[in-house]
Amino acid sequence: MSAVTEFLAPDTVEAAIAALAGDDEAVAVGGATALSLMMKEGLLFPSRLVWLGRIPGWDSITAAPGMVRIGAGVTLADLAGSESVRRALPAVAAAAGTAANPRVRSVATVGGHLAHADPRQDLPPVLLAAGAVALVSGPGGDRRVPVDDLLVGFYETSLAAAEVITAVEVPLTPGSRQVYARFNPGSADDYPTVGIAVHVELGPDDTVASVRVAAGGCASRAVLLHEAAAVIRGRSPSALDLPAVQAAVEAEIPVVGDHRGAESYKRRVAGVWARRAVAGAVGDAGPLLGQPVAVV
Amino acid sequence: MKISLNLNGEQVYADVEADSLLLDTLRDQLGLTGTKEGCGVGVCGACSVLVGGNPVSSCLYLAAMADGADVWTVEGLTASDPDLADAFVECEGMQCGICTPGQVVAAAALRRHHPGASPEEIRRWMSGNLCRCTGYGTIIEAVERYVGRD
Repeated sequence: MSAVTEFLAPDTVEAAIAALAGDDEAVAVGGATALSLMMKEGLLFPSRLVWLGRIPGWDSITAAPGMVRIGAGVTLADLAGSESVRRALPAVAAAAGTAANPRVRSVATVGGHLAHADPRQDLPPVLLAAGAVALVSGPGGDRRVPVDDLLVGFYETSLAAAEVITAVEVPLTPGSRQVYARFNPGSADDYPTVGIAVHVELGPDDTVASVRVAAGGCASRAVLLHEAAAVIRGRSPSALDLPAVQAAVEAEIPVVGDHRGAESYKRRVAGVWARRAVAGAVGDAGPLLGQPVAVV
Repeated sequence: MKISLNLNGEQVYADVEADSLLLDTLRDQLGLTGTKEGCGVGVCGACSVLVGGNPVSSCLYLAAMADGADVWTVEGLTASDPDLADAFVECEGMQCGICTPGQVVAAAALRRHHPGASPEEIRRWMSGNLCRCTGYGTIIEAVERYVGRD
């Protein structure tokens, strides 16, 4: 495929960072599903592949106080199938279980998914809506990077050279309502035209105390939609102005047209699907046009 | 680099490059040509094999990542379970045949991961394996028959 001369499979994070730091053209490998494609297409020419899959505990999902920690090596299939994730983070499980096909899901990892930063992916909007934080390790030490600060643009993250994502922490919000609604008119394994994630927490007075709305598939990265959230926050679920939610989304969302839809089309689809996803989050958990939806 | 595979229940070794794909290693080095290359981009499923019991697209899977793993191909799966190929034969679940090995491997993976899968679950699972002859009806019948067998 390319000029790859070395495949290393270190068994510690420290050794992985050292292997990455020791070669300017080294690339960290999660499951290689996207990496192999990019090498085949001639978009990447790594000289050294550093596979992280042999690091003990890399693929574990652990419950900690107030959060779930998802190891960077957890596959999308294991994330979708995890009982604890399905119970506490149903939108995360739904998004992981709908990406690509069973073969890709059983190999692609959460860390690789985030580091790849394809704007059409399913997990980034859901992790943005959930307030997730990536744990990153590198030559300069460890740092915590909110997913919103990790994503930069097309295939671009804020990871520095030789830094790796080691885990993703997702806060637990008992009683929250979480929805992921993807509009995908193509084949079942296609990327969504638009994916909308909504995370709502009600306060003691039954009004919306906290809400995040995020979209994938539209811009050069998944984005939080702050204006739409402002329309929802503080309202009672029964008094939500859904047309105003749609209008806010259509006004603020950055959109890049592509073969899944022109800019104006995707903008409208994002508005309509955000309205439906918000309605699903605060109302009945009915299916949205047969697409996967999760609510607790 | 040298890798070892537990391939269809038998220990084998292969000498691979850092970026060798499992598909090419199986076909060109180990002589198992049942696994096909279709799209080469992980979409069509013709190159499906099991690694560690999980279905993977061998056209995207680095051979080096399979070092030490249990790998099952269509040859081993059908030899170890005659019901698998029988279901496809009985239902005529094939047309031109290029996608068939992948469909068979996907069916084997489905029965391992979701024994007793519902018709809806079967369709969702098999949606990742494309048949360009569009002979899906009998393929799904074959998978239903195989998954429904004790």
